[in-house]
Amino acid sequence: MKPRPRSPRFRHTGTRASLAALILCVPIAPVAAQDGGAPAAGAPGGPGLAVVARKLLTAEFEGRTTVDNGVLLVRDGKIEAVGARGELTVPDGYEVLDLGGLWVAPGMIDLHCHVAGALSDLNDVVYLTNPGLRATPTITPGNPLMKTAVAGGVTSVLLIPGSGSNMGGHGILLRSGFGTFEENLLRDPGSLKLAQAGNPERRAPWFPGRAFMNYNTRGTFVRGLAYAAGFTAAEKNGTTAPAIDPQYEIFRHLADKRTQVSTHTQMYQVVMTTITMVRQELGLDVYIDHGTFDGYLAGELAEEADVPAILGPRQVYFRSTRTDGKIQGVAAGYEERGLRKIGFNTDSIGRRGIGQEELSLQAAMGVRYGYDNSDMGGVRGVTSVPALASGLAGRVGALTVGLEADLIVITGDPIDPRTSVEMVFQVGQKVYDAREGRRW
Amino acid sequence: MKVTLNTFRLIGLVAILSWAGAPASFAFAPAQDGDKDEKKKDADADAEAEEEEGPEWFAVSGGDVYTGTGSILRGATVLSKDGVITDIGYDLFVPEDAEVLDATGYRVYPGLIAISSFGLFGGSADLKNTVDPFSNNMTLALAAGITTAVNGSEVAKLKRRAIDDLVMNTSVFTSLSFAKSNPAGKRSLREKLAKAAEYLRKYRQYETDKKSDKTLKEPSKKGIDSTALAVLRHEKRPTFSANDRTDLLEIAHLAQQYGFRPIIRGCREGWTVAGELGRAGASAVITPRDRRPKDERFARDGGSSIENAAILHAAGVQVAVIPGSAGISLGGIVGRDLMHLTIEAGFAVRGGLSEEAAMQAITTVPARILGVDHRVGTLEVGKDADLIVTDGELLHYETFVQWAVVHGDLVYDKEEELYFAHIRPRPEAALAPETKLDAGETEEAPEEVEEGGDEGEGEGSDDGDDGDDGDDGDGGTEEEGSGGGDGEG
Repeated sequence: MKPRPRSPRFRHTGTRASLAALILCVPIAPVAAQDGGAPAAGAPGGPGLAVVARKLLTAEFEGRTTVDNGVLLVRDGKIEAVGARGELTVPDGYEVLDLGGLWVAPGMIDLHCHVAGALSDLNDVVYLTNPGLRATPTITPGNPLMKTAVAGGVTSVLLIPGSGSNMGGHGILLRSGFGTFEENLLRDPGSLKLAQAGNPERRAPWFPGRAFMNYNTRGTFVRGLAYAAGFTAAEKNGTTAPAIDPQYEIFRHLADKRTQVSTHTQMYQVVMTTITMVRQELGLDVYIDHGTFDGYLAGELAEEADVPAILGPRQVYFRSTRTDGKIQGVAAGYEERGLRKIGFNTDSIGRRGIGQEELSLQAAMGVRYGYDNSDMGGVRGVTSVPALASGLAGRVGALTVGLEADLIVITGDPIDPRTSVEMVFQVGQKVYDAREGRRW
Repeated sequence: MKVTLNTFRLIGLVAILSWAGAPASFAFAPAQDGDKDEKKKDADADAEAEEEEGPEWFAVSGGDVYTGTGSILRGATVLSKDGVITDIGYDLFVPEDAEVLDATGYRVYPGLIAISSFGLFGGSADLKNTVDPFSNNMTLALAAGITTAVNGSEVAKLKRRAIDDLVMNTSVFTSLSFAKSNPAGKRSLREKLAKAAEYLRKYRQYETDKKSDKTLKEPSKKGIDSTALAVLRHEKRPTFSANDRTDLLEIAHLAQQYGFRPIIRGCREGWTVAGELGRAGASAVITPRDRRPKDERFARDGGSSIENAAILHAAGVQVAVIPGSAGISLGGIVGRDLMHLTIEAGFAVRGGLSEEAAMQAITTVPARILGVDHRVGTLEVGKDADLIVTDGELLHYETFVQWAVVHGDLVYDKEEELYFAHIRPRPEAALAPETKLDAGETEEAPEEVEEGGDEGEGEGSDDGDDGDDGDDGDGGTEEEGSGGGDGEG
C-alpha cells in the first residue's frame, strides 16, 4: 500500500519564533517613514527596497503562481521586478529586507466589506432602489476592526451599503492600511451594490416577490443607462449636457465600464437573473458577490457570460433532497460547472459577525469542501480573482511588475488558519509589523 | 487500498491464549469435573457461547500513529480487544478473527474531545432520555474526529448505533461565580470558602484530639456549603466563566489562597494575567479566534488576543480549545462550529502555540479536565480504542477524517457516508473492514443517512425555497435562520 497521492499542499515552514529571528533588515531596521521623516525604502519618493523571501506567491490569475527563493524589488510604491534570487540582481542603493524562511504574497482583497465605516449608516432604505446613496460618508479609516483585518492580510476592500433595498447605492474601493480617506481611496464609485432578492423584501413595507423586485430594478437600470446615454450623446454631438441627477450618476460610470455591479445574489434563480439581466441583457460588468447556497447551479452560465463569482460567508450547501445528502462546497460547485473566476469574501459586519481578518479562512473552507487548490486556487481567490472582478487587476492583487506593492509577509500558506501574518506593506509602505504588537 | 483482512500471520490457539491472558483462556478451559454430566454440559455450552462471542479484536494497521504522548510510530499497528488498546507497535500478533483496517499512508490520532457540545448525541442535555445514535449530528461529529463529548453534565462517547455504556463521567462541572459584576455572589463565595476552610481546620483538630478524648463530638457541618467543601477537599474542580482580567486575577488569587485549581471558560484576557493563572494551576477553555477589541477608554492591555492560547500555555495553564459554537451547523457558514474543532485549534497555532500543544488542547487537556484521561485522550495500551484515521495533518484545513473508531468499533467511514465521500475521494476506494453488520444492513446505510439528512434539514430553520430566501440574510450570526437582521449587505 502506497501513501495516497495528494495534490500539492502548502506546508508550514516552521515555528514563528525561529522565523522571526531570521528577519534581518539590512542595513537599517525601520522601513516605514514615520513622523514626516524621509520616505522609507519602497515608499513613494524613497529609495528602492529589495524583499528577499523563501517563497513569493505571485498569485497571477494566468501565469506563474510561485517563485521559490525569490527577490521582489519595490520602488515608488510599486513592484519593479519579481524573480528568483539567482536571476535578479539587486541594484545599488536598494535596502534589502531579508525575510529568511518567510513567504510573501499579495495583500488580500475582500469585495464584501461593511466594517470600513459605521455600519449603522450603511443601510438607508429610501426606495426599493437607491442607486444614488453612497458609502463614502460613512468611512472610518483605521478603525479597530479594519486594523485587525490588516493584521489578517487584507489590504483592499469594497465597502458597500447593506442589502436592505434592491440597490443600496455606491460601494467604494479602499485600501485598509492607512489612517486617512485620501490615502485609502482606491476607487469611487467602487461598485453599484445590487441585492436582487433575499434581504430587501424584509425591509419593504409589503413583502414584494422576485418578479416585482426585478421588474423594478430593471426599470431603474434602464432609466439610469438612458441618463448616461444622454451625456454620451451630448458629448458626441457637442450639445448641452443633461442636468445632473445624483440618483443616476453612477450609471455613467457603469456605462463607461469604469465600475461594476457587485451583486448580493445567492440562490440559483437569483444568480441566473443576475447573469441574464445585468450582464446579458444590460451589458454591464457584474460579479456575483456574497455567493452561497445553490447559486453554483448557474456556474456554466456564469462562465459563458464571464461573470466572476465571489463567495462567502457560507461555503457549503446542504439539503438532503437537493444535494443528494452531500455537503456541497459552493466554490467546488461553481468550479465543477466550469467557472474559472472564483473568489471569496467575508461579509464582515462588525464585532459579532464574521471578521474581515477571516477572509483567508473563507478561502480555506472553499478548498476544504472541494475547491481545487493544486495551483493556489485558494490564494488567487482572495487576490487576483477579486482584483479582476472589481477592475483593479492593473493595480493590485498579484506580485506583478507595475502593480502597487501591497505585500503580506507570512509564515506559510496564507489561507491556512495556522499561518500568521508578520508584516504588511501597502503601496510600498509598512503598515503593520507583528513584532511591534500582534493584532491577529 | 484494500483490506488486508486476516492477512496477518496465522498463529496457534495456544499462542493467542497465553498472550491474550486469562479472560480468553477461560472460555476454552476444559471442564474438569467429568463425573457430573450436567455440569459438563453447562460448561460445554458456556464454552461454546464464549467461543461464538469471543473477544472482539480490532487492528488499525500500517498508519503513522500519533499517540498524543509525544511519540509518532510510523507504519505501526494499534491493536485493541473488546474496545481497549492491548498493543501499539510493529510485528504484532493479530488474531486471525480480528477486523483489520489498513491505514497505510494515513495518520492515526486519538479521537478528539469536545469539552462542550450540544446536539451531538441527537438530543438534548438529557442524554439518557434523548440520545439518538442514528442522528445526522453524531455522524458529522465523528466526521469531525470527535469521539468523546460533554453533553449536559455528562461526558459520553459517540458510539454510533449504540445506546449503552455511553457515559464515562457525570457532573463534570461545578460552576461558581466570582465576578466583579456580581459583588454579592463574590462575597458569598468568599464566605462559603472561609467557613468550609474553618470547618476543615476544626475537623482536622478533632481527628487529632479525639485520640486522647473519646468524648469529643465531630464538628457540626451546619451552615457549611457542600460545594465549597468538595472544592477544598479536591473532590471537585470548580469552573468559572470569566473573561475580564480583574475577574481572572481575583479567581487566580482565590484559588491560590484556598489551594484549588480552577477551570476557566472564556479566559479572553487571560493573556494579560497568565502568570497568576499559571501559578493557580488553572485550566482554561478558550476559543482562540475570540475577537473583542480592547476597551479603548483604557490604556492598559485588554480585549482578545490571538496569542492567548500560546501565552497561557507558556505560563503553565492547561489550555483546552472549543469553537465559538459548540454545535453542528449546516447553515453554510463553516469553520466556526464543532465540525471544525481542528480549525479552531489551528488558530491557536497562528497565535504561537505549538502544533503538539494545539493537538493536546482538543485531546489530552479536555480529557484531564473531564476526569476521563485514564480512558481517552491518547493512544496508549490500556486506554480505550477511540481513534481517528486522517488523510493528512490533523490541523490542516484540507484534512478529512477517513475513519473513526470508538471503543474498537468502526463507527465512521468517509466513503460510506453521503456527506463528504464526493470530496477528494479515496484514490482506490479503500474498503471498510467487514463490520459486524450483515451485508443487507450495509447496503441500507445510505438510506439511513438520508433519513438523517431530512432530520438535519428540519433542525435548521429554513426548509424549502421560501425559507432559503429568509435565510439569504447574510447574518453575521452563525445559526441558520437568525437572518442577522437586515443591516448587512
